Amino acid sequence: MVDVSQHELVPEHTVLEDDTLEEVLEEYDIDRTDLPKIQRKDPALPDEAEIGDVIKIVRDSRTTEQAIIYRLVVE
Amino acid sequence: MQNSSTPKDIGQISFGLMEPEEYREMSATKIITADTYDDDGFPIDMGLMDPRLGVIDPGLECKTCGKHSGSCNGHFGHIELAAPVIHVGFTKLIRRLLRGTCRECSKLLLTEDERDEFRDQLDESRKLSRDLNDVTKAAIRQARKKDKCPFCGEIQYDIDHEKPTTYYEVQQVLTSEYSQRIAGAMQGDEEEGIERTTPDELAEKTEIELTRVNEILSGSFRPRESQRKAIEKALDIDLTEEDTNKLMPSDIRDWFENIPDEDIEVLGINPERSRPEWMILTVLPVPPVTARPSITLDNGQRSEDDLTHKLVDIIRINQRFMENREAGAPQLIIEDLWELLQYHVTTFMDNEISGTPPARHRSGRPLKTLSQRLKGKEGRFRGSLSGKRVNFSARTVISPDPTLSLNEVGVPDRVAKEMTQTMNVTERNLQDARRFVSNGPEGHPGANYVRRPDGRRLKVTEKNCEQLAEKVEAGWEVNRHLIDGDIVIFNRQPSLHRMSIMAHEVVVMPYKTFRLNTVVCPPYNADFDGDEMNMHALQNEEARAEARVLMRVQEQMLSPRFGENIIGAIQDHISGMYLLTHDNPRFNETQALDLLRATRIDELPEPSGIDDEGEPFWTGHAVFSELLPDDLDLEFTGTIGDEVVIEDGQLLQGTIAEDEVGEFGGEIVDTITKVYGNTRARIFVNEVSTLAMRAIMHFGFSIGIDDETIPEEAQSRIDETIDDANDRVEELIEAYDNGELESLPGRTIDETLEMKIMQTLSRARDNAGNIADEHFQDDNPAVVMANSGARGSMLNLTQMAGAVGQQAVRGERINRGYEDRTLSHYEPNDLSAEAHGFVENSYTSGLTPREFFFHAMGGREGLVDTAVRTSKSGYLQRRLINALSELETQYDGTVRDTSDTIVQFEFGEDGTSPVKVSSGDDNDIDVEHIASRVLDSEFDSEEEREAFFDSKPRPTNLSEHADDRLTEGTEVTSDD
Ligand SMILES: [Mg+2]
Ligand SMILES: [Zn+2]
Ligand SMILES: [Zn+2]
Repeated sequence: MVDVSQHELVPEHTVLEDDTLEEVLEEYDIDRTDLPKIQRKDPALPDEAEIGDVIKIVRDSRTTEQAIIYRLVVE
Repeated sequence: MQNSSTPKDIGQISFGLMEPEEYREMSATKIITADTYDDDGFPIDMGLMDPRLGVIDPGLECKTCGKHSGSCNGHFGHIELAAPVIHVGFTKLIRRLLRGTCRECSKLLLTEDERDEFRDQLDESRKLSRDLNDVTKAAIRQARKKDKCPFCGEIQYDIDHEKPTTYYEVQQVLTSEYSQRIAGAMQGDEEEGIERTTPDELAEKTEIELTRVNEILSGSFRPRESQRKAIEKALDIDLTEEDTNKLMPSDIRDWFENIPDEDIEVLGINPERSRPEWMILTVLPVPPVTARPSITLDNGQRSEDDLTHKLVDIIRINQRFMENREAGAPQLIIEDLWELLQYHVTTFMDNEISGTPPARHRSGRPLKTLSQRLKGKEGRFRGSLSGKRVNFSARTVISPDPTLSLNEVGVPDRVAKEMTQTMNVTERNLQDARRFVSNGPEGHPGANYVRRPDGRRLKVTEKNCEQLAEKVEAGWEVNRHLIDGDIVIFNRQPSLHRMSIMAHEVVVMPYKTFRLNTVVCPPYNADFDGDEMNMHALQNEEARAEARVLMRVQEQMLSPRFGENIIGAIQDHISGMYLLTHDNPRFNETQALDLLRATRIDELPEPSGIDDEGEPFWTGHAVFSELLPDDLDLEFTGTIGDEVVIEDGQLLQGTIAEDEVGEFGGEIVDTITKVYGNTRARIFVNEVSTLAMRAIMHFGFSIGIDDETIPEEAQSRIDETIDDANDRVEELIEAYDNGELESLPGRTIDETLEMKIMQTLSRARDNAGNIADEHFQDDNPAVVMANSGARGSMLNLTQMAGAVGQQAVRGERINRGYEDRTLSHYEPNDLSAEAHGFVENSYTSGLTPREFFFHAMGGREGLVDTAVRTSKSGYLQRRLINALSELETQYDGTVRDTSDTIVQFEFGEDGTSPVKVSSGDDNDIDVEHIASRVLDSEFDSEEEREAFFDSKPRPTNLSEHADDRLTEGTEVTSDD
């Protein structure tokens, strides 16, 4: 089976550590439920990602070099 | 009642059901009689027009709140319904609850564990702001699966819902012809190979005693449920029939009253605010008379509102119901009346329910009841709240006026006299104010109304204007006419982007149309073939200031879509600039001054040179350069592919055309806007357009049929080319017929042939075009327009002079029409160019009838395409706007919706406005260039700059306690 997450067009998805997560939530002054969502079954997710985790996505952007997006893993 | 004249803040809105007791509490009176007015025309007490429900007649006093019409909002009354009826708005929810709860004990048909799980799911969905319906639906689905109550063990039946408001319980009961069915099945069927069953065998299989079996067969004993099932299994038959039992609203109400609060929560209902039994009405609120005013017709008759008519019906039936019940009428009649009451209450709330005949007026017109007042385009929401008609607006046809600035709009005097601005009279504008008033409402600039300091508003008339003018003092308000320089908002629908609504300065003009400068046509997407536009006069200083600063046309010069200018020279401006700069023609003093006469330039620069006769001359480049900022430096590849060089505000080289000064990203306009600001850009665009008009008038510019006609020799060469192509197509067809054609990779033979024919023919068209082109001079007006980008392309010219070429429908040669051919003029399966829509002629030479027909086919597709595209994209746009309208960029740079959920972590991912920065794939931000420009303007000399960059900033020393931190690493320089 092809591992989609290894494809060059799929940006890097990493699970955020708890302390960095705290920083992120504090920076934006939000609860994690205010983040955009990503489904657990999304093939781009790393295997260890669990529901409730926050994923950091670093992707190429049309307007800037790289954009960082955080998403909450949901069912 | 509190003092209701003070504005109140809305602290909270909660949605829920109303308790019957609440209806009674807020009611001003109980309504018991269907009559409205007595013989003397006075409203009847406890009737539908009871004076306690509010006042509509001016001068009367409200019996409830004591206020007069206008300030009294009206008060609800109530009707005590003789029997409960179902509220149509909740039929789906009622059905769900009936299906999900026990018919005996009313508990939710879920075990406690299941119930708790669904409640948890509900909480989670709420947190993630997901659709709660998904969970509640799943809960009901699960509950419906139970055929026995987990608490009391009662067997549950299916609930049938007959729209709109009838519910049945469906039970499977033993059919009355059970004995016949059993006997029939025991006969067997030889053809299908089913054997006969003897009563003995049946008794054995079903374990029922033989005597019982015989009794059952004779029909003298009704089998019990277990026996029925056994027989059904043994004989493979169905012995049941459906028995439906109608649930009366009172039954449902009793049922719902017993549903425990904890169970309702699982269904997403807040039991504190809404109890399900409240969905069955026992009291009907009567809207205040202010919500259903009666009108007095010309003949003195009163005409009542539709709602009142409906309420009359309800009260009448309600009374008949009560009378009949008290008289002990048979159940059948009671049920009929009950249904009638339900019908009237239902149509009172919604008169457009499918399956129910709408209640009609005597004239046959369906009544407009509650839901019809709210729904649809003309309803309360879309028609009265989101959008409404406004005062101080005008609409008329637009026409062009190149003498206006792009910031201006020509307003017809009759519009200016209708639309007013409020003027607060002070000592300083007293003279003006008096002059306006004395001019009266007919003269311009006049005034229509004045307001005295005591708040009294007086109309200015032709008769009283002179006297009134003398009375005007400081402190008065004068509603004066629009005058030159006022700011107004101007709009053309469809308002697809923000430049569809811009602010303009008024120039009052005679005649009936709005006039605008042609350079603002692109942002409005306007032309003058009958387009109309709307104007709005602003009514307070705040709005006027905002419009002037943010919305004026010059402030909208750059489009937020692509970050470049959307306003610039168009059409004849472009041709004019091209003529002025292309061959760099020479002008004598008079001519040069004439070209520049509508600009700010009133003195010519040094002549560009002296001609042979000793007269000084100015070149086109020199004239154009007068419009440029003195220190503009620019170098880029221009419209016609030449290098455009501007140094120190002088055009040294190149042709000025579309890519230089045009509407969508004209390089010079764009640069001036970004570097020199919107005001400079406005001046530049205005001056370019006027200079271009002068230039095009100087040279003269026209187009005629001769400009697209080519010499005979060229025509015969074109004919030859076309004949050649036809021959080649014939060859291809022959090769195809002989099976010699080799298919291209991935194509069938037929596709290959089609492709090759298309290629050949399009090459033929191009060749014909090239031949035609050779005969056009560079000064041919069509060529000038195509080259400069003013209008049209070389392809248009090719089609006019050379050959129109292949007509296509759906990207293929024309193939439809008759069986195996396009028209009956051709043999079946004729694959030739002619038979499939190749037009050999040019527009000038004229099309043959068959060519014309094919051309119309292709043209029709284009028309349909654009029609479909605009409607599709309009709908898409609406959906997109609705989805994005509440997104907002926050001060921390994130984009969030109203519930603070993040949509983008940084606006546009780079946090910049496209209007402030233009960068793209082919246009990186030139940081170095910008930095050096900033530094150049910041420092007068190289030394100063050096000094600034070498100097180390002194550490701030706010507190002596900070000293030791500062001394680490960096040395402390003494402050003196
Ligand atoms: Mg039009
Ligand atoms: Zn009142
Ligand atoms: Zn039960």
